[in-house]
Amino acid sequence: METMSRDVAAMSGYGASSAAAGPTMHQWSPYVMNSGTVMAICGKDFAVIAGDTRMSVGYQIQSRNVGKLLKVTDKAVLGTGGHCQADTLNLQKLLRARMVQYEHQNGKTPKTSAVAQLVSQMLYGRRFFPLLTKNIVAGLDEDGVGCVYTFDVVGCLERVRVACDGSAEELIQPVLDNLLERQHQQDKPKPPPLHVDLSREDVVNIVKDAFTSAGERDITTGDHVDIWVIDASGVHQEKFDLKYD
Amino acid sequence: MFGMANDFTHREIMDPMSVMHTARQLGSASICDVDLSQPVSLGTSIMAVEFDGGVVCGADSRTSTGSYIANRVSDKITALDEQIYTMRSGSAADTQAVSDYVRYYLDMHRNQTQKPTAVKTAAKLVSMLLYENKSMLMGEMIVAGWDAHNGGQVYKCAMGGSLIRRPYSTGGSGSIFIAAHCEHTFRPGMTRQQAIDFVDNALRLAMASDGSSGGSVRKVVIDASGVERTYTGGVF
Amino acid sequence: MSTASIAQALNEQRGGFDFELAKRNAALEGAGMKVPRATKTGTTIVGMVYKDGVVLGADTRSTQGPTVADKNCQKIHYIADNIWCCGAGTAADTEFTTALISSKVELHRMATGKQPRLVTALTMLKRLLFRYQGHVGAALILGGVDCNGPALYQVYPHGSTDYLPYVTMGSGSVNAMAIFESEYKDGLTQEEAMKLVHKAVLSGIFNDLGSGSNVDLCVITREGHTLHRGYDQPNPRRFRYPGGFTYTNGTTPTLSSSFTPSRTPAAVVGGAGMEVDA
Repeated sequence: METMSRDVAAMSGYGASSAAAGPTMHQWSPYVMNSGTVMAICGKDFAVIAGDTRMSVGYQIQSRNVGKLLKVTDKAVLGTGGHCQADTLNLQKLLRARMVQYEHQNGKTPKTSAVAQLVSQMLYGRRFFPLLTKNIVAGLDEDGVGCVYTFDVVGCLERVRVACDGSAEELIQPVLDNLLERQHQQDKPKPPPLHVDLSREDVVNIVKDAFTSAGERDITTGDHVDIWVIDASGVHQEKFDLKYD
Repeated sequence: MFGMANDFTHREIMDPMSVMHTARQLGSASICDVDLSQPVSLGTSIMAVEFDGGVVCGADSRTSTGSYIANRVSDKITALDEQIYTMRSGSAADTQAVSDYVRYYLDMHRNQTQKPTAVKTAAKLVSMLLYENKSMLMGEMIVAGWDAHNGGQVYKCAMGGSLIRRPYSTGGSGSIFIAAHCEHTFRPGMTRQQAIDFVDNALRLAMASDGSSGGSVRKVVIDASGVERTYTGGVF
Repeated sequence: MSTASIAQALNEQRGGFDFELAKRNAALEGAGMKVPRATKTGTTIVGMVYKDGVVLGADTRSTQGPTVADKNCQKIHYIADNIWCCGAGTAADTEFTTALISSKVELHRMATGKQPRLVTALTMLKRLLFRYQGHVGAALILGGVDCNGPALYQVYPHGSTDYLPYVTMGSGSVNAMAIFESEYKDGLTQEEAMKLVHKAVLSGIFNDLGSGSNVDLCVITREGHTLHRGYDQPNPRRFRYPGGFTYTNGTTPTLSSSFTPSRTPAAVVGGAGMEVDA
C-alpha cells in the first residue's frame, strides 16, 4: 500500500549536505519533522499504547517531555508518531472538539471504532495537503475486547493486533510481527483474530523492551515513554525512563 | 621567529560572500548546525596604512563557519618575513596555504641573496600565486612591511592576481562600511601614533557595522626599529 | 578486466586514491542511481590545554542518518606517543587520514631521531586536506606536548588550522563550547582539566542527537600519555524483557538435510567475539 512516507524521509533533515551538489535551491516547505515513535498492542480485555516523549529537529532536542498520546474517551486513546508537532496539536484540538460535538448531539460517547473512523475522515479531508502525522488509535471495542487501528497520513484505516509508527517503526515492527503475530515461528500457535494472546504484564514488558532497544539505535527516540493501559476500568498511565543521550 | 608554533598556525579566511552565506544559513531550518561541508570563512575587516617611516597593520579576530564563530581570537596578520606581514581575507584554507608557500619562498630567497627581502618581492609572490591559481583560490591579501629601500609599504593583492601599491588599503567584508570614513580621515605623511589611531578607529567602526567581523583588534606596527604587536580584547 | 591488466593496475598503483570508477559512477548517478552514503560521526570532540599538558575528549557514537551505526567507537586516534588526534566528520576519512599521518610522523621520527613536533603533524595534515579541497571530510583536533610545551590545534576539512587553548568540533561542538566559554580558566590542574573536558563532552552527549554513549579521554603530558577508554559510561541499557526471549528448536522448520563429513576438521583459532552491548 503506497503511503506518503517519501515526503517524511525528504523532510527528516538527516541527509548529507547539498553543498557538494552546487548551489542550494530554496523551496518553501511547510513541514518540520519532530520525529518520535508510538506503538500499540491489544489483548483480550485490554489495550496498551505507548509513545516516547522526545521532540527533536535535526540533531537538536526541542523537549524531553512532549507526550504523543491523547485520551479521546475512557476507552480510546490516540497516539501520534513520526510527526510534525504542530500538526499533531492541530489534529488533537480538532478531535477534542468533535468529541464534544458528538456527545452533545448523541448524548453518549462514541465507540472506539467510531473514533477511528472519524480520525480517518479528518485525515482524508486533508488529502492534498496532509497533516504530517502517523496515527494509532487503541482502546476497547463495544464487546470489551482490545482493539488497535492504524492509519497512513491520508487516512487509510485498518484494524490490527499490533502496530508501530514513527521513526523507530522499521526497528520495532518486525520484532512485534515475530513475537506477537508469530510470523516465522512455525511451531507456535497463531494469535486469535482480534487480539494477541499474551498477558497484560507480558505486553507491557515487550513495549518497554522495544522502546529501550529502539532508543539504542534510533537517535530521535529517547528520554521517556508514556505507557497507557486501557481496560474496562479506564486508562492507566505509566511513565518509563529511557536514555537521555 | 618562524619556528614558533604560534606564528605558524593562526589563520582563517575572509570571504566576500560570507555575508550572503550567513544570511542563507540563518534562513534555513537548523541555525545551530555546524556544517563542515562549508569552508571556514572569514567575514573580515583588515587594513594597513603607511606612515612616515613604517606601516601599521590591523585586523579583527573573527573566523566563522556560517553563523557560528569558529574562532574568536584568530590571528589574520601572518608573518611572511621578519619585517613583512600579510593580512588575509577570504577562505582560511586558501590564504593559509598561500602564505605558507610565500614564507617558504622568501626563506629560500633570503638565504640565497643573504640580504633582507624587499616588501615588493613578497607582494609580487603573493599576487603571482593568486594569479596563477585564480580558479582555485578565493582570497584577498594585503601585504605590508618595511624595507631599507622604500621604507613602509602597503600592497593590495586582490582576487585574481592584481597588485597595487597604496598609501593605505582595506579589505574583507567589513571594508565597505568604512570606505568613506577612511577616505575622509586619511592624511598623507601621518606620524606613527596618528597611523595607529587611524587603523584603530576604522577597525572599530567596521566591526560595529559588519556582523561577520568582530572579536578583538590585532595590530602590528613595523618600522626600521622592528615589529610591535598589540592585541585589544573584548572590543565587540 | 583481464587478470594481466588487474596485475598491471595493482603494480602501477603505489598508494593514493584510485579514481578509476569516478566517470562510471558519475554516469550512474546521472541516470538516477542512489549513491551509498559514508558513515558520518555526528560527534562531540573537544580538547583543552592545562598547566602541564593537554586533555582530549570524545563521545563514542557514530551515526548513519538517524540510525546509530556504532555505540562505542573510538574517536581519539594515535599519531605519536606525545601527539593524539580527535576526529569528526566522515568516519573513514578521519581514520585513514590520522593513520597515514601517524606513519609518516613515525618515519620522520626514525629519520631525525627526535621526538615528533605538533607542527610537523599539523603541516602534514593541513597539506593533505588542502590538496583534496574538502573532499576528504576530516575535521580534527590535534593535541599533544613537544619541545615547545603543550599545544592544541583545530584542523578543518578544507585545510585551514587554528591554534587555541580550548577547541570543540563536530555536531555537538556548540554544546561543548558553551561549557568551555563559561568555565574555562588558564592554568588548571590535571584533575580540574579532566573534569571540565568530561563535562563538555557530556554536554554534547546529552544535548546533541548526533553524539552519545560514553566519554573517552586522553591526557598527554611531558611524561607521556594516558588513554582513558570508557572514562565515563553514563548510558547503560536500563531494561530487558524479564527472562529474555527464547525460541525452541524447530522454530525454523527443517525442509531437508544432508551431512557430509569434512575430510580435515576445521578449527577456529582466536577471534574476538562480536560486541553486543555498549
